[in-house]
Amino acid sequence: MKPNLFISTSRVEEQAQEAGRLPGRRTAQVTGMEPLDRQVWRMIIRDPYLAAHAPAGAFINLYSADRMTMMPRPFGISRVLEGEQIEIIFAVVGQGTYEFSRLQPDMAVDLLGPLGHGFDLEKPAHYLLVGGGLGVPPLIRAAQCLQGQSGVRTTALLGYRDHRFADAIMGSLTDRLESIDNASGDVITLLDRVRGDIDPGRTIILTCGPLPMMRAVAAWARKAGLPAQCCMESRMGCGYGTCVACVVDTVDGRLKVCKDGPVFAADRLIWNTDEDKKETR
Amino acid sequence: MSGLTIMDPLEPHAWRHGTVVAGTLWKNPVGTASGTFNLDACGGYYDVSQMGAISTKGVSPVPWEGNPTPRTAESPAGMVNSVGLQNPGVDHYLVDELPRLKALGANVITNVAGHSDEDYATVVERLADSPADMLEINVSCPNVSHGGMSVGTDAKALNRLITRLRALTDKPMVVKLTPNVTDIVEVARAAVDGGADALSLINTLVGMRIDINTGRPILAQGTGGVSGPCILPIALSFVWRVRQALPEVPIIGIGGIDSGLTALEFLYAGANAVEVGAAALVDPVAPMRVARELDDLLDERPELADLLEKGECWR
Ligand SMILES: Cc1cc2nc3c(=O)[nH]c(=O)nc-3n(C[C@H](O)[C@H](O)[C@H](O)COP(=O)(O)OP(=O)(O)OC[C@H]3O[C@@H](n4cnc5c(N)ncnc54)[C@H](O)[C@@H]3O)c2cc1C
Ligand SMILES: Cc1cc2nc3c(=O)[nH]c(=O)nc-3n(C[C@H](O)[C@H](O)[C@H](O)COP(=O)(O)O)c2cc1C
Ligand code: FES
Repeated sequence: MKPNLFISTSRVEEQAQEAGRLPGRRTAQVTGMEPLDRQVWRMIIRDPYLAAHAPAGAFINLYSADRMTMMPRPFGISRVLEGEQIEIIFAVVGQGTYEFSRLQPDMAVDLLGPLGHGFDLEKPAHYLLVGGGLGVPPLIRAAQCLQGQSGVRTTALLGYRDHRFADAIMGSLTDRLESIDNASGDVITLLDRVRGDIDPGRTIILTCGPLPMMRAVAAWARKAGLPAQCCMESRMGCGYGTCVACVVDTVDGRLKVCKDGPVFAADRLIWNTDEDKKETR
Repeated sequence: MSGLTIMDPLEPHAWRHGTVVAGTLWKNPVGTASGTFNLDACGGYYDVSQMGAISTKGVSPVPWEGNPTPRTAESPAGMVNSVGLQNPGVDHYLVDELPRLKALGANVITNVAGHSDEDYATVVERLADSPADMLEINVSCPNVSHGGMSVGTDAKALNRLITRLRALTDKPMVVKLTPNVTDIVEVARAAVDGGADALSLINTLVGMRIDINTGRPILAQGTGGVSGPCILPIALSFVWRVRQALPEVPIIGIGGIDSGLTALEFLYAGANAVEVGAAALVDPVAPMRVARELDDLLDERPELADLLEKGECWR
């Protein structure tokens, strides 16, 4: 299946604006594609609406050009870039991500978004951005939104399987960055390391990564008396709140990851250990 | 995306081709399919009052939690879901989604779910004086353990249920059939004999996907229901067979519709109207786009358009 060359016929954004509606699925132009690691890519997409409306923690759906693989592929927005562009960072794990990794500048990709309810970054505080692997992208956007805010300090604590592919981008946006790979430890090792530098009254944890990691971070935060916001992942059917496929159990009931989340306060989530086991296999 | 016509699906539009289903007027023959429409999610993308009808998520007598996750898996040109009818229950529906949809001017089909005859009866009774325009009795959900599909695959049980519900409501009652049967005509007839005013078909087909890394089903529930373009030819054959056997009953055709062209196929198979399901999950505006494309296609087919407008169908 050969992806199409981008030809600017899609007026979805203008049409939606004229009708006072959200822009639906549209075709956007890929403007950049670069490998960050083996099988990890950074893709830049030009989409004026997304560039103007991309809260930290929000994601987009990408769609395959092949109608055989029709379901949405959700990706966190990692940065907004000049020239009405946004960036995503993704790993090739299956058919859809393989297809996206073959896209080149000036090719077209269908997308929907921005989607979801993001991080709460209202309070001036010391933000600990705790990310694992492909959970880092939404935290990069959080760092970008927090950069230069008065009364805000940012420390990124990143865990990787091996290569530290997001350190360069994250390092340019945060006051401090510590990272670790599986051979030397995990993000809990890093949290313990920065503990001495934390003022419990004005520190907030933002976390995104594999479920068992976030569970451990949430437990660490509870013990340390820090509020934590978790950016969750789930298999989706639509990504915009219609199908009720993507639910997570919370003290407020079964909520949709795509619309009520993906960001939830750690103390509202019900951490189900059996589910975690299934996901980590 | 379908490139049939380059038009703006959000532009104000004067519908030229309506239809009538069991005495209810639709401004165009295209509705949303149950479980693939949610007002809070879809209402932002298009004017829901401009759909032929809005079939809402199945409502049960009390809130249902649904199945464990994962609840979706991709399949070639389609998807398998096992949502299991998670919904906040009829009391919530009556004070929330239904009045809001009516205030917007939508033509509302309320989809009714149950685990037992008693459940269905409770919901139908609660809806009898509601502003819902039509009821769609879902006896075809493959994702619940009791009720659902087990009623829709047993002609006798179905006839008994529909007869009971008929006594409880004057609203136009559509019965939504499952394709997971040996003889669709037998169950279609059982529903009509019990007092169904119309039939909608098809619901999803039982299916599954396996994760080759774990050797286990992708869906937590094991199996689920298949929908999307891959079921189009199957759905068409079911509509066509029921139309051959029951020339009079109004039929809403469902299954794999993602364009005006595929909707048109259903109308030629004998449907009076259609509903768009999975296509809306991958493009929120899809139902409106299908309706607009169909309106143009019917311009060139005055004979079919006239039949629909009179509440009749293509034979
Ligand atoms: C809110 C959210 C944000 C995400 N952000 C990122 C990101 O920034 N970078 C990144 O690399 N990945 C991210 N993911 C995971 C990413 O969506 C999957 O890796 C991707 O969908 C896999 O697609 P595929 O076609 O290659 O895999 P396949 O296995 O072929 O996909 C088949 C189906 O399963 C779904 N699926 C497979 N794996 C996942 C998964 N882990 N989570 C959800 N659905 C899955 C696919 O969407 C598709 O519908 C995010 C997931 C969610 C829910
Ligand atoms: C996620 C999902 C949820 C559904 N929920 C319901 C439901 O609550 N009640 C119902 O009668 N049908 C339900 N259906 C079935 C659809 O209404 C429709 O009959 C089926 O998906 C086939 O049409 P499609 O191929 O256009 O999706 C659901 C389908 C999907 C994909
Ligand atoms: S993925 Fe459809 S409701 Fe969240």
